Amino acid sequence: MSTVAFTPARMRASMFQRSLREHPGPAVAGLCGLLAAGWLIRYGLYGDQHTLSILAGTWVLGWIVLPLMLGGGRGRVRPSHLRLEPVGILPAAFGLLAASAVGIGPLVSLIALVSLPVHAARHGPAAVVVAGLGALLLWLIGLIGSAFALEAIGHAGGPVGAIATGVFTGTVMGVFGSVWAVAPWITELLSGAPAHIVRWLPWFPGSWPLAAATGPSGRGLLVIAGLFVLVGVFALVYLALVRRTLVTGSSWRPRRSAAASASASLTATSTASPSSAAARRVPGGWWGRGPVWAVTGRELRTWGRHPLRLQYLAFAVVYGTLLAGLPMLANVDLLVPWAGVLTALWAAAMSAGLVGLDGTALWLPFTTPGGERAEVRGRGLAWLLLVTPIAVLLTVAAVLVAPATDPLAAIAVLPAVLGAGATVPVWVALLRVRPVPDPRHPTSADNPTDIISVLVASGAGLLTAAIPMALIIWGPDDLRWLAPVLGLAAGAAAWFGGLWLGDDRLANRSAEVLTAAGRRTRAPEAAIPLKWDADWYRENRATAWALVLLMAGWIPVVPQGLMVLVFDIGGGWIVASHFAGSARTGVAVAMVALGGAMLLTGLVLWGRRPQPVPAAT
Amino acid sequence: MDGIDLTVRAGTFHGIVGPNGAGKSTTIGMAVGLVVPDAGEITILGHDAVRDRAGARAVTGVLPDGLDLPERLTGAELLRYSAGLRGLSRAAAAERVTELIEVLGLTKAAATPLADCSTGNRKKVGLAQALLHAPRLLVLDEPFEAVDPVSAASIRRVLRRFVDSGGTVVLSTHSMMLVEQSCDDVTVIHQGRVVAAGTVAEVAGGIPLEDRFVELVGAETSGTDGLAWLVR
Repeated sequence: MSTVAFTPARMRASMFQRSLREHPGPAVAGLCGLLAAGWLIRYGLYGDQHTLSILAGTWVLGWIVLPLMLGGGRGRVRPSHLRLEPVGILPAAFGLLAASAVGIGPLVSLIALVSLPVHAARHGPAAVVVAGLGALLLWLIGLIGSAFALEAIGHAGGPVGAIATGVFTGTVMGVFGSVWAVAPWITELLSGAPAHIVRWLPWFPGSWPLAAATGPSGRGLLVIAGLFVLVGVFALVYLALVRRTLVTGSSWRPRRSAAASASASLTATSTASPSSAAARRVPGGWWGRGPVWAVTGRELRTWGRHPLRLQYLAFAVVYGTLLAGLPMLANVDLLVPWAGVLTALWAAAMSAGLVGLDGTALWLPFTTPGGERAEVRGRGLAWLLLVTPIAVLLTVAAVLVAPATDPLAAIAVLPAVLGAGATVPVWVALLRVRPVPDPRHPTSADNPTDIISVLVASGAGLLTAAIPMALIIWGPDDLRWLAPVLGLAAGAAAWFGGLWLGDDRLANRSAEVLTAAGRRTRAPEAAIPLKWDADWYRENRATAWALVLLMAGWIPVVPQGLMVLVFDIGGGWIVASHFAGSARTGVAVAMVALGGAMLLTGLVLWGRRPQPVPAAT
Repeated sequence: MDGIDLTVRAGTFHGIVGPNGAGKSTTIGMAVGLVVPDAGEITILGHDAVRDRAGARAVTGVLPDGLDLPERLTGAELLRYSAGLRGLSRAAAAERVTELIEVLGLTKAAATPLADCSTGNRKKVGLAQALLHAPRLLVLDEPFEAVDPVSAASIRRVLRRFVDSGGTVVLSTHSMMLVEQSCDDVTVIHQGRVVAAGTVAEVAGGIPLEDRFVELVGAETSGTDGLAWLVR
């Protein structure tokens, strides 16, 4: 293998070093991974063989899948990078795999799989060697599988890959979120895998290294040979992918059958009379009337086809359902009716970066009379049409599953969360535009949503939901039935509030939004002086007010409001503690509302701050 | 931009030319409201483009360069979406979309997601959406980039018919041949300022337009020096 084959590994090493210098994320992830690997090695020393096999196999599976949603695609050396280089297919594939081996994931995984020979040590030195070889082969399967998944699924997996990724992430997050309910099951697994699982383990490659080390030598040879075959198959498939990319310029990307669609849609002719029957068969299919429905139609089609949107939706549904349903394992069905609410809440949070996914496609409504208003309303309406049926269905199903649990609170909160979830994320997405590098072919590693956007979008839903919840918790019992009506009213108010904010953003800053959507690198930030500068504050009153509100808004929300409501704290400077009973509660709720309004106003003013003039291009 | 002053006569085919980074796309962006000028006035067919945005947009069709499209829609769906944004009735949308697909040779692109369309087909779909609402002013940024010669010829004929019927076309291009063949007037922009404007013949001043253009903007390098290792 020529030294050229190692060039990708050197490139990757340079990228990796730079990413370690620039961001703390990889180092933190590495530390967490090392802790987990250390725990696995310790478990290997004392734990059950079958459970260790399951954990090791799951680790490798997670290594293959997790980078798809955690941004593992960034900073990689990809086959397309070598397309114009005079490198053969075999050296290129070898070099790319060598490059894939440079990073935190491969290193931590290698350490974690040391747990297998450590466990085999109790069977003698020969078992350690066999288990070590098996662990190495398992590591190679993870390495090649991860490289393949990032290239094939991350770039071209289409809707199925996107939904699978969303389901996997939602499951992992849902299990972690309900760990208190799942813990007894995990404890049982750690003390020894149940017999019905052990029966199926021979079919699971994760169990093969230890099976080879601890079983009869003939079977061990067979199992190791099986691992070699698996590595070979993975390598051949990866080689085919690299070959395809180097030869044709792309990994496989399923395209819609143009001819089939064309014959179905291009049936109307230029002389067709505008009858309703003909109108139904015109190119482009059915579209509603007017600008708002035009945007709604575009959004609904995009939701059905965009891999990242599908991934987000699948994540929201699975995560919401598991958070509500998994506690049933511990015989807790209190959360079950909330499946729809939680799904809507996560769907809203995951929608807080959608504008960034579309790149600069916003120019079309921006060059149309009234296009900005239609854009905001159409996006909100499409979200509502998409999420409402799912949330309602989940709520109804949950009520049927847990008939003993009172669903009134969930039913009251659902319209509030839906109303806020439809339009507030649109405003957030317009306020904090994070464009993806390539809107035409995004990867599942591209995530334009940032934590602030998620917090604001989900916070708006929680704040709106607090209104009907307040009536249910603190209101008179004979008025509790009004909570769903109040939830509906709160949802409608949040809907219109989101519309107002979105309209305001686009009416005043549409060119800025478009510029941000087209900026593939980090936007320059307006510099805020770190020491007192009277001139700056005089010239930037709105920005100064935004800073004051964003800093001070938390005081009424947290110590004056939530701490009183949740922990019942008191003190001289806590306003609510000078009152008693419902007056105390009312003051605390008013404080939360006041702080929320301050933070919201601060965000609006912050969004309007003057931007530095970008350098001419 | 540096205090640009540009007038386009209604009912003409007007070319804007300039070197890379001269400010052509920024000028076009300001005219159609995608870029906000620091100061000044823009009037489009009697509408104040800053204060009466809706009026100016209603009479303008735009094809920007380098901006994304709703990539998950097919070409035909983009046109239907655009028709909806413009408030066209379903019947009018159906008729116009079908005819534009036929005239511009978009049958295949009409059924293909835009993310998978070639640059030339994306340009043609973009041009179709700009024409869809029968504007009186067409503002086109590099409309013929990557478009095949046969399609380019038919598009030029469509645009000429549009101008002959009283419409106005403003396009930016790097092709001096296109300006000489198709445009009535031309404006040369350099470093954010208009350095020459008038009819094509006036600006050319009796020599080929390309030579005149190089004279006006000045060549940064002659291309005759250096690179000895290449031309040994």
